[in-house]
Amino acid sequence: MPTFTLKNANNEEISSTSFKNKYVLIDFWASWCAPCRKGNKELVKLHKEIEVSKIEIVGISVDTDIEKWKKAIEKDSIKFTQVNDPNGFDAKTAILFGVEELPSQFLFDTKGILIAINPTKTEINNLLKK
Amino acid sequence: MKKAYNYLTILVFALFSLSNTYAQISKAEIRATGLTCSMCSNAINKQLKALPEVANVATDLNTNTFTVILNENTTISPATFKQSVEKAGFFIGSLVLTSKTTSIKNEKFIVVDAKTIASEEVTFQVLDKGYVTDKEYKKLSKSLKKLETYLANNEDDFHIKILN
Repeated sequence: MPTFTLKNANNEEISSTSFKNKYVLIDFWASWCAPCRKGNKELVKLHKEIEVSKIEIVGISVDTDIEKWKKAIEKDSIKFTQVNDPNGFDAKTAILFGVEELPSQFLFDTKGILIAINPTKTEINNLLKK
Repeated sequence: MKKAYNYLTILVFALFSLSNTYAQISKAEIRATGLTCSMCSNAINKQLKALPEVANVATDLNTNTFTVILNENTTISPATFKQSVEKAGFFIGSLVLTSKTTSIKNEKFIVVDAKTIASEEVTFQVLDKGYVTDKEYKKLSKSLKKLETYLANNEDDFHIKILN
C-alpha cells in the first residue's frame, strides 16, 4: 500500500502505517460527488456489520472546502476513519493511487498488498469470513 | 504523381476550410453532461489539459463548469472543445467562449441576436447542435426556424449568442 499521512476532522495525523495486520479498504470521495455520497451510505452499513479488528475502512476526501467535508461526514453519519487530502484529482494521494474517477476504492490485504479495486460488499464479506 | 498531387490539393483545402472556423479565443467555459457525474471523472480535465492550446483548466464545483484558459494569441475552433469532451465520454451542455471581437467577424460565426459589439473582446455562447443540451436544441430549432443555416447543422459554421 502506498504510504501516506493525512489529517482527520480533528486535525490529528493518521498514518497508513498504523493499519497493521488488518485488511484496509481505502475509499476516495468528495462531498460534491453524488455517487460518492450514495456509496457512503453503503460503507456506513458495512462498517456496522464488519469486525473492526479485521478491516479498517479509510475514507480519503479530496474536498478542497474542509467545512463541506466535515458537514458531509456528519450528514452521512460516518464513524469510520476519515482523512482529507484537498485538491480534487490533483491531491497527492489521488495521484499516488492513480484515481481517475470518484468514488474509487482500493482493498489491501493484511500484508498491504492490493487485492481488489472497487470490490463489492459480497467480496469483502466473503474475504472476512475466511 | 498526379494522384498524389490531387490528394495534396484536397488536404490543403481541408486544412484551409478547417482553419476558417478558428478564432482567437482566450477563455472557454464548458458545462458537460452525461450519464454520470461529470465532475467525478478526471477524463474531461485530462483531455482538455492535453490540448497544446490550453494553459490551464479549473473546475467550479458549484456550477459544474470547467474553465479553460488558453495560451495567449491562440487560435482554436469551438469544435476542438466538443471533441475533447466527447473523447472523455461526455457531452457539452453549454459552451461559452471569450474571444477577440475581430476574430468572429466573418461568415463562419453567425450572430443570432444581431447585436453589435463595441468592445474589443466578446463573450458568446455557441448554440449549434452538440453544443447545447438536446432539450435546448429542440427549443432553439423552433425559435430560430427562420434561420436556414441553423437548421442545416453545418459543421463549419457556428451560431452564437452574444453575452456581453
